[in-house]
Amino acid sequence: MLQSVLLSRVNLWGARPDLMLLVVLAWAMVRNVEEGLLWAFIGGLILDLLSGGPLGAISLALVAVAFLAGRPWGRGAVTAPVLGSPLISLLLLAFLGVVVYHLTLLFILTLMGYAVDWRFALTRVIGPSALLNVSLVPFVWQPLTWLERRTRRERFVL
Amino acid sequence: MRESPPRPWLPLLLLVLGLLILVFHDAGYLAPVENVLHFVLDPLQRLVSGVTGAAGGLFETVRDVRELRAQVEELQAQVDALTVENVRLREYEAGVQQYRALLNFASEYPAYLGADVIGQGACETFPCGEVVGTEPNPYLRYVTINVGARQGVEVGMPVVGGGAGLVGRVTQVYPRTAQVRLLTDLDSAIAALLQTSRVTGLVVGQPDDTLLMELIPQEENITVGDIVLTSGLGGFVPKGLVIGQVTEVQQMDYALFQTAIVRPAVDFARLEQVLVITAFEPRPPEEPPPEEP
Repeated sequence: MLQSVLLSRVNLWGARPDLMLLVVLAWAMVRNVEEGLLWAFIGGLILDLLSGGPLGAISLALVAVAFLAGRPWGRGAVTAPVLGSPLISLLLLAFLGVVVYHLTLLFILTLMGYAVDWRFALTRVIGPSALLNVSLVPFVWQPLTWLERRTRRERFVL
Repeated sequence: MRESPPRPWLPLLLLVLGLLILVFHDAGYLAPVENVLHFVLDPLQRLVSGVTGAAGGLFETVRDVRELRAQVEELQAQVDALTVENVRLREYEAGVQQYRALLNFASEYPAYLGADVIGQGACETFPCGEVVGTEPNPYLRYVTINVGARQGVEVGMPVVGGGAGLVGRVTQVYPRTAQVRLLTDLDSAIAALLQTSRVTGLVVGQPDDTLLMELIPQEENITVGDIVLTSGLGGFVPKGLVIGQVTEVQQMDYALFQTAIVRPAVDFARLEQVLVITAFEPRPPEEPPPEEP
């Protein structure tokens, strides 16, 4: 709801903060791929209902991001960080996730017959969106990490 | 307590489900389901829109007071000037009425001309709506308004903002809300004409939120600053609605047509209230005269 009502109005040189994308990305990495996929599917479907585009487009794009982030090598990028820094690994993976999200959206829209300016999208939308959303990842990561710890099911070993 | 077993089939299942939803939505089979889901989501969206609007309003109040004082002084000066012009324009209006009667002008769209549409009484005639949601997809340009089938809104109806500026057309209708495709959407195409030269063309949306008027004959002179209006051709939108203003002309000798960049009359980023023209009857395509034997 916040994405549709409030954040979609924000426009910084072609970039918009994508709260749902960031939450799905972070949760898939923090928790596991299955929960990330479920939340991506459900959250994406709600956004699709509030969108004028094809139903299922945002949902599929978010599922692709959750699948990418929730894979062992995706989650391992944070636990076994690249370049020795979990933050750099997180930001790199987030950048990749945002790019995958936008490319998937563009592909689906093109496939469903919607007019899409690929050149404008690649040069003026994806790049700024990736930079903006990557810069917001740490602000989403911390609360979700806390939430994951609070909601984690404890495993008892006898 | 044991963790749930892994489900490696889940990504594939969700992918297949998503593709099925895409296909069935495109075929129109999911309309009843979407209506039910919108029945649940729309009140929530309106609630969130109201809350965020109120919260934003609190922060803007202090800043607005100073700006409002300056605006009041400026507007007072404008009112004085407009009063004088109003008297002059009423004289012109009287003359126009006489010409229309002489030409047997059908005046099929009496309610949409100029300020009569967005006047104080307009909302008693046509459904006035508020924008309660903007497009979450970064590559599309739609808004959600809080009037729908219950208020008589139908797919294809034109939507206007302040000053009879064309906002777009209704593309999807639910019981209490509707989706409006904005002029700046890449799939939007409106038949238009220039106010001074009466040259016709086609206005299409651009990804940078401007408009492009294309298919303008090379020999026509286009003036920067010229007002672009709807031409009514095709019968999808009434004639005479304001689209925008020409800001740049692009003319190349080797091209068949020239184009003009148009700044929209409506500020889509600040669009709050709109009016749906429900009394517009699309013109059927004219049939060619029968050939003589």
